[in-house]
Amino acid sequence: MSEHESNIVVIGGGISGLTTATEAAEAGYTVTVLEKDPFLGGRVGRMNKYFPKLCPPVCGLEINYRRVKFNPRISYYTMADVEKISGNAGNYEVSVKLRPRHVNDKCTGCNACTEACPVEVPNEYNAGLNKRKAAYITTEQAFPFQYVIDKAACTGDCGTKCREACKYDAVDMEMQPQSLKIKAGSIVLATGWKPYDAKKIDNLGFGRYRNVITNVMMERLASKNGPTGGQITRPSDGKEAKRVAFVQCAGSRDENHLAFCSAVCCLASLKQATYVREQYPDSEAYFFYIDIRTPGTSYERFLNKIKEDDKVRMIKGKVAKVSEDPATGDVIVEVEDIFAGGKSRVAVDLCVLATGMEPTISELRLPSDIKINENGFAVIGKDQKGIYAVGCVKDPVDVAKSVQGATGAALKAIQTVGRLA
Amino acid sequence: MSEATVVKPDLDFVKEVIAAGGESLKKCYQCATCSVVCNVTPDENPFPRKEMVWAQWGLKEKFQGNPDVWLCHQCNDCTAYCPRGAKPGEVLGAIRKQAIKQYSAPAALVDIVNNKKLLPLIFIVPAVLLALLLSVAGTFGIHEGEVVYSKFASILFLQVVFTPALIFGLAVGVLGVKKFWDDMKKANNVQSGDLKASIIATAKDIAGHQKFKTCDVSGDRYTSHLLVFYSFVALGIATALGVLYIDILGLESPFGFGYGTPVKLFGLIGAVAILAGTILMMSSRFKNEEKLGAGSYYDWLLIGIVGTVGLSGALSWLLRLGGAASVAYPVYFIHLVAVFSLFIYLPYSKLAHLFYRSAAMCFNKYSGREAQSQGAGQS
Repeated sequence: MSEHESNIVVIGGGISGLTTATEAAEAGYTVTVLEKDPFLGGRVGRMNKYFPKLCPPVCGLEINYRRVKFNPRISYYTMADVEKISGNAGNYEVSVKLRPRHVNDKCTGCNACTEACPVEVPNEYNAGLNKRKAAYITTEQAFPFQYVIDKAACTGDCGTKCREACKYDAVDMEMQPQSLKIKAGSIVLATGWKPYDAKKIDNLGFGRYRNVITNVMMERLASKNGPTGGQITRPSDGKEAKRVAFVQCAGSRDENHLAFCSAVCCLASLKQATYVREQYPDSEAYFFYIDIRTPGTSYERFLNKIKEDDKVRMIKGKVAKVSEDPATGDVIVEVEDIFAGGKSRVAVDLCVLATGMEPTISELRLPSDIKINENGFAVIGKDQKGIYAVGCVKDPVDVAKSVQGATGAALKAIQTVGRLA
Repeated sequence: MSEATVVKPDLDFVKEVIAAGGESLKKCYQCATCSVVCNVTPDENPFPRKEMVWAQWGLKEKFQGNPDVWLCHQCNDCTAYCPRGAKPGEVLGAIRKQAIKQYSAPAALVDIVNNKKLLPLIFIVPAVLLALLLSVAGTFGIHEGEVVYSKFASILFLQVVFTPALIFGLAVGVLGVKKFWDDMKKANNVQSGDLKASIIATAKDIAGHQKFKTCDVSGDRYTSHLLVFYSFVALGIATALGVLYIDILGLESPFGFGYGTPVKLFGLIGAVAILAGTILMMSSRFKNEEKLGAGSYYDWLLIGIVGTVGLSGALSWLLRLGGAASVAYPVYFIHLVAVFSLFIYLPYSKLAHLFYRSAAMCFNKYSGREAQSQGAGQS
């Protein structure tokens, strides 16, 4: 058991948590970031591009990694599970369990352990689109740039081959879980979201038809550091995906699934339509929607720009049935084209379900003064003291709003600490 | 420049639909999930999405001669997948009730029959009427000795009272269908078609319950409806045989053949089917209550009448065999009241669907819409 003290604890090392941490640290406060994954960066790290400017996430994320790395007031822990939060404003104690990485900080990132590792498991970082070794790193931009060994995936003579391959003595299969207690004045919740399980939407064929994928998978397919090196091809046969359907509100605004609007999916799908259109000049994208939700001037402009492309077809009507042509592997989406006044069935190479954001905060054991609303988001009232929330913990929001919110959360946390110090 | 369209909403219509079991109507946000998951809707101008917006906006005239609300079999696949809990299946049921009001004259009777508060009245009136008529005939009361129902209500009495009741119900329904058919032709701009072939094809669809078979979520409705439907067919045949034996061949009950005689056989099959079907209908509604809703008063009234007919009929038979005269005659009286109600309320209760749904299914073939929609729409 080791103890540690900092002004602020940030739970979650995605774009919201990192921004909060760097803002508070650069204002002179000590911050500890707790991340459950082996790497920082969260969901944004997995994206190909941001909307509406269509720049890669390195833009925002890499500079944050640098700010984290060189700021002595920030400490971070990966593979950290928060077990308990006790105390009150100005005087919290956070109990953390650190899972063993099995790779120590002598690691140089030489990739020898991965090459030696005989085990392959589905790569959750790429939403299962490819496999990874049990000894791995997610991408060349991973932070910390330190490999990890997934011991649960290890079988047989686990650890022998990678340990022998490592010239730097960085592999340590005997590493044990550690307990950690952090005393802090304020806590910021930034645990973000996870993609809604598309298998639960039984009429849209995800899990039954291989060429039905989710928007999160599409980001990985289009990413240079993704499973296909950025080639948008379909999972069943690797064929170029030139006719792509985007199915909006797949499980969002739906009381059978997520009752709320996930706020980003329309923009995300429009953005993904540009991936397809840029990669294949003779491609076609179909965008099936209930309403297109792109609020604000810059997002409206983004929508209008995409509408100028007549190969991006906007069809009002929700896709409610999906089937597969077994001979070709094509996906057939069925919709009532409301403006045309009839049902149509469109055969496409690839069908992308715009699945929504499921909040993750309920997975954390929180002090009783934090309420969770009916949609699973944390309710942080105006008079909430000491514990704040940012990003998709409170509402489904995009990156820009998460970053704006992070500055606010940092300020509130600082005020708590400052007032009580 | 396009012409401005002035929408004239009929707010009373909206209120009536909501009151008739469509209280979830306004939740609809027009995503069209319903039209896509529906297995019985045509590809061209599919229902129920468009009906939902018409009803929300109070566009009553759009329902004038609309066959689509009747093509709906209330499988409730739409309701199960509706992302808003708008229950299109229930709303269309409520709209159908309004359609019955439009075509079964007088409309006031539809309101009276389907008004929850008047529930006792709609049974008391026929009960009093039958009791009076039976008293006039001098047979009302408990008869000592072996239980013979013709002591209570003679064959002649049944013919004089029940035959006109059935003819009344059928006539009102047929007149309604005539009006509905003309409206459908006008509203859909259909001049001519092959009526005979359409009727034959519709009869085949109904006989095999082809449309019901395609329901996903409440698939057991196929079985329950089939059972009740054929129980009516069997009981109808039994009654027709009775007429044949008594009035044409001049035989007297029990016709000397015991239970092997066709009239008894059809009667028994009918009794079993009607009871099994209604029990299945009720259990299916309770089973799916959370997601689909248990149905409105209008649904339950019909289930209630049909169930009472079946139960009182079967009990009358058992009590007659048991010789329990003091219970048998009252139960038989209930049976008579239930059957009488079934007949006179035929065009006003939910049972009116047998006229209007059949007509709409037939019209869909007659107008060529059904044939047109098959296999269309691939792009």
